[in-house]
Amino acid sequence: MALTCASTLLFSALSQAASSHGSHSANTLDKPITVQDSKGTFTIDYRPKRIVVLEFSFADALASVGVSPIGIADDKDPSRVLPAVRKIIKPWTSVGTRSQPSLETIAALKPDLIIADISRHEGVYADLQKIAPTLILPSRRETYQDSLKAAAIIGKVIGKNKEMQARLAKHQKIMAAYAKQLPKGVVVQFGVARDDTLFLHTADSYAGGVIRALGLANAHTGKNDSASRQTSLEQLLSINPDYLIIGNYTHPSIVDKWEKEPLWSVLKAAREHHILYVNPNVWSRCRGIMAAERMGQDLVNLFHPNQIAPQQ
Amino acid sequence: MSRYIPFFIISVLLISLVIANLLFGAISLSLHDVLRGFQPGSDSYFTIHEYRLPRTLLAILVGAMLALAGALVQGVIRNPLASPDILGVSHGAGLAAVVYMIYFPHSSISWLPAVALAGGLCAALILWWLCGHRSSTIKLAITGVALATFYASTVDFLMLIKPLEINNALLWLTGSLWGRSWPQITMLLPWLVLIPCALYLAKPLNLLHLGEDSAVSLGARVNLLRLIALAVAVALTAAAVSICGPISFLGLVAPHLARKLFGGRHQALLPATMLVGAVLLLMADLVARTIDPPIELPAGIMTAVLGAPYFLWLLIRTK
Repeated sequence: MALTCASTLLFSALSQAASSHGSHSANTLDKPITVQDSKGTFTIDYRPKRIVVLEFSFADALASVGVSPIGIADDKDPSRVLPAVRKIIKPWTSVGTRSQPSLETIAALKPDLIIADISRHEGVYADLQKIAPTLILPSRRETYQDSLKAAAIIGKVIGKNKEMQARLAKHQKIMAAYAKQLPKGVVVQFGVARDDTLFLHTADSYAGGVIRALGLANAHTGKNDSASRQTSLEQLLSINPDYLIIGNYTHPSIVDKWEKEPLWSVLKAAREHHILYVNPNVWSRCRGIMAAERMGQDLVNLFHPNQIAPQQ
Repeated sequence: MSRYIPFFIISVLLISLVIANLLFGAISLSLHDVLRGFQPGSDSYFTIHEYRLPRTLLAILVGAMLALAGALVQGVIRNPLASPDILGVSHGAGLAAVVYMIYFPHSSISWLPAVALAGGLCAALILWWLCGHRSSTIKLAITGVALATFYASTVDFLMLIKPLEINNALLWLTGSLWGRSWPQITMLLPWLVLIPCALYLAKPLNLLHLGEDSAVSLGARVNLLRLIALAVAVALTAAAVSICGPISFLGLVAPHLARKLFGGRHQALLPATMLVGAVLLLMADLVARTIDPPIELPAGIMTAVLGAPYFLWLLIRTK
């Protein structure tokens, strides 16, 4: 039984390989496309059809121009992929965790392009290249602007440069429209809370960049070169933002505990009921064009709770 | 003759685990596919030749090296609870690796093994400098444990102040065979010279087992023997850890199991320990890869899951 199963698998894989080779020749470009990735120059002379992405932001970039990846390193939890992205792309195969994706699962998918994250996957870059041409870009430590740049590079590599540029222009418009509905210069601080820790995402972080792009201001979290910093209640009090946006990874989180403490009521955001709750997965893990738009939408909904804008 | 039966059994176990490691993974292959996988250009060539085979060989090498180091340390310290960890080598390597990952996030990851190796060897040199080579084993052990704890707490401190790097650092610190392939095996090969060196020490280690005074009166040069045995253990551990990260409990559990199965004669114990270590790590990595595919757990978690209860049981027994 197992033998027949495996041989069918092998056969289908072989025929897939044959067809993908066939489509290679049909998809060969007259002029190869060359871009700069985190390891130097990346050149591709065909239009990739079977793409595996190892970070959510790359799936977001593909979905933004209507391309479906065949495999995503989704930590074996499809709900971690942004709902707006999930709506666009076809069902995919999970290739494991983002930190240690399963190379044999990736190889079994017979990809013709892999998009990897320089911060997580540099150690296996050579192995990935043995499976398929690998575009390696920043994702994990990236800022909002870097993420848009990475999307533009992905657009070129998959032969959808025009569509991607149009999508990025539309993105700027959408973000500007959200910015109009939001107060200018109000100090907003985002943080993710777990059972015993609160990590603030500072001005250098992805969320900090989105907040700035929407015309809001980042709180001064102190001189720190890190995009994320752990904070105690007293430190939070000295930062004292106008609005505090919390993503709870667990319930109850440390913020729920702090709410019962007398110090909490001194917090400006607590006094004026300016503490807002968002989905931490969207705000911290997803990153990307549609993720930023969802964050803008979240903020508009939170600042104007009575006139919920229609979900796009 | 009966002495060879456990050897035979454990060898059979080792070979079946090697075959199982080639057959099973995120995708199970048939024996036919596995054999075809050794030919370049075949469909499963990447999975077998570039992925599972080097990883299996690496598990054997690293398992054997860590276990052998453990047996040497236990032989010298003459305490079944001793392990290479008490020399501070793996923690030193861990500290060096974490410092490198946190303060040089943009430099190439290909330097990580060299940095970790240097860290491990430095930790051993610091221990030697503090203790000198004539001090008692108990002083050596206690100083080593203190240093190891110091390195571990420094790692904790660094990860607290630089939270963004926690994921990569933690992953490395649990010890994993993921993403290791032929280049890492090539890096380990020169260190295999140490294995015959270690086996050569078997007879003098037997003398040491009788107690230091007896060993001296029987003609063993105890201080030199201790120095060489520990140096070999340090080098084996540092080399293995630099490739795979500190895989916990292997250096403690494998020699102990081997002593139970094969007795305390080092001529039998040392090779047996290597076999047991290889079997344990092969088993841990097989489970780590197949328990919930396509998720890959670090093999170090599995050895800890196996090792921690064994360690506790050992502690209770030795009371």
